[in-house]
Amino acid sequence: MSKVIIIEDNPQNARMAAKLLRHAGHEVITAEDGEHGLTTIFENPPDVILVDLGLPDLDGQTVVALLRQQDTLKQTPIVAFTAWPESTAHAMAQAYGCDGVITKPIDTRNFAQQVSNFATGAKRRE
Amino acid sequence: MNAKRMTEYVQQYDVDLEASIVSLNHEQEVTGLCMIAFRDTRAWITRLGVVPERRLHKNGQFLMETVLETARQRGIQRVQLEVIQGNEPARNLFLKLGFQDVQELLIIRRPPGAPNPELTPFTATFNPIPHTDIPNYLSQRTERTTWLDENRSLLNTGGLKGFSTQLDSSEKGWAILQNTPFQLTHLVFSPNLSANAAQALLHYIHQQNPMQDAKIENLSTNSPYWHSYQKLGYFEVFRRTEMHLRLS
Repeated sequence: MSKVIIIEDNPQNARMAAKLLRHAGHEVITAEDGEHGLTTIFENPPDVILVDLGLPDLDGQTVVALLRQQDTLKQTPIVAFTAWPESTAHAMAQAYGCDGVITKPIDTRNFAQQVSNFATGAKRRE
Repeated sequence: MNAKRMTEYVQQYDVDLEASIVSLNHEQEVTGLCMIAFRDTRAWITRLGVVPERRLHKNGQFLMETVLETARQRGIQRVQLEVIQGNEPARNLFLKLGFQDVQELLIIRRPPGAPNPELTPFTATFNPIPHTDIPNYLSQRTERTTWLDENRSLLNTGGLKGFSTQLDSSEKGWAILQNTPFQLTHLVFSPNLSANAAQALLHYIHQQNPMQDAKIENLSTNSPYWHSYQKLGYFEVFRRTEMHLRLS
């Protein structure tokens, strides 16, 4: 079981993702914007971070950039969680230092496994 | 967008909340939003949005026609907006209402990081522009601007900083930008700035702010500085099309 934070402003998407991950045994925290996401992560570091790149206000790329500057999160997988076209999402994720991309709408059959794979990959690196 | 940011947005872009509207369904739930801003005889439409289940029901058209009627009543001569490329339903609605394409715009980003020192082989001096002088510098601008980066938007913005430069080659100019706690944005250059001076200024700005993410919205695809931005590590995220409608 891993602790996963989902930073996602669309409540329906956040609810669906959280439900699937909880069903798979993960502990899930959701944050509706970048500022709350950062505060939650700093207070309670997770094992995997899912960030919607299209967040309002403090947008997803800036959140990723700020997280990547934290030494304590160097080993934590940060995954771009986005409805952007796949090529744009991958280019952006790579430029900002994400460990991968999960595109929306999510594939409900594989989503939890995709997230678990990021958590497992991080544990292997430790 | 949270309430604090929305308040800033309304103030920064002169959004008129009296003229901006929401649509409601029979249960009094919000189904759509359209905001409009006014400056002299111009208006800007922003944040047009309809909840997914109300799309294809002419909800967007109703919102647009309502704010356009308000604009007519106020004597507005030109309405402008930007639409994200690929949003065909919105673009088709704007075309149906008589809007015409004006220019193609880039949204570009640069992740944090110090610039490569080899990228600027120019010897130059840099000086901060006193905050009180920033309006005078901005008044020198002559390029076509969009609502987001016209001087009135910039002057409504907090956290503006400016730098002037002079290269050994005698090329000179300035850059003004907004420096928020997390991001560099709203960057504009002096008129007729050389590509070398633009590159030197960008290099200096990122050297001074290596931990800052950068985002430039609505850079014209014809901008002479796009190449300088690219050299400093900026890349295109997506494009918008600016569209105008003449009301009189």
